[in-house]
Amino acid sequence: MWLPFAFLIIGVILGLLTDLRVPDAYTDYLTIAVLAAFDTLLGGIRAQLEKKFEDIVFLTGFFTNVSLAALLAFLGVQLGIDLYLAAVFAFGVRLFQNIAIIRRHLINQTINSRKLKKNPEK
Amino acid sequence: MILLSKRTKWLMSLIFALVGFMLAIQFQTASSEPEFRDTRDQWEVRQALQEQQKLQQELLEQIAQADRTLEEYGEVSDAEKLETLKSSIHQLEQEAGLAELEGSGIIITLAPIFQEWEEGAPAYPTVSPSLLTHLINELNTFGATGIGVGEERFISISPVRNVNGETYINNRPMPPLPITIKVITSNPKKMMDYVNASRSRDMFALDQIAMEVEAGQHIELPGYEDNLQVDILELDRSKETGED
Repeated sequence: MWLPFAFLIIGVILGLLTDLRVPDAYTDYLTIAVLAAFDTLLGGIRAQLEKKFEDIVFLTGFFTNVSLAALLAFLGVQLGIDLYLAAVFAFGVRLFQNIAIIRRHLINQTINSRKLKKNPEK
Repeated sequence: MILLSKRTKWLMSLIFALVGFMLAIQFQTASSEPEFRDTRDQWEVRQALQEQQKLQQELLEQIAQADRTLEEYGEVSDAEKLETLKSSIHQLEQEAGLAELEGSGIIITLAPIFQEWEEGAPAYPTVSPSLLTHLINELNTFGATGIGVGEERFISISPVRNVNGETYINNRPMPPLPITIKVITSNPKKMMDYVNASRSRDMFALDQIAMEVEAGQHIELPGYEDNLQVDILELDRSKETGED
């Protein structure tokens, strides 16, 4: 389980070392892509806890979400509407929901394991 | 404990790395300050360079002069030291306008224009403070090194005020017209042309005052007599000279 987080840190370090900067015009796209990535990650963790995780769903979900968000932002720019705000809102809501569900699962897990420890015969 | 297959684990790790990368870039983009762009064109850069060169030359001259004074202090006897000190004081007084000043310059004579007065018009024209300030500002712009209005030396902190309807300079009333304004400058002919072509002449004419200008080779200005009140001035320490 520690491997993904190690890779997360490696990714951050790589990003900082490359000293890459996105031009001002494209910051919205990046923001929304980061949000989409977060959402997918949390969704993946949640699915794992619910024992419904499938890597193909996770993989396609990640890339479709990110590109869809970017597309929405692009469409918004073309139409002159801040459509990317809609994506930010949707992802934000889903982030909170996912985190809430993950929290509940984790709490249930710990409670169950304690109960098991107290009366292991049951 | 969550159990993952090996393949899924690596997949997750790669996605995590990607997310981390995106995060880092996002962080860098958000925290980077907008780049300062130099939008001056060649001409403006050249002008700025020239200004700096001029400043440099002035500073070098000042340093050379200070060095000379220091040398004089260092190598000579006490009596001569006193002389040097006195000359330094005299020089400073001249720069501040406390000492008398002689040199070439122009004399401006302000005299009333006599004509048949209309009903209700002022009986005798007077120079208003705003008009005088305007003229003095113009003279300073044209490169005056010293200005004397009547018997008053006009220095950088001289007030021009309206007191009970009369114009006061250096807190003393201005004498009635005609009055002479003496200006010392290094190039009297050019100054005369400037003054002749300036807007002040028309503005004085509107107030029924004629302006006559003549050049002089030997003009004397009185010194400023009052105490210099510079208590209100504060040393600006925000930027030292030569620091940039």
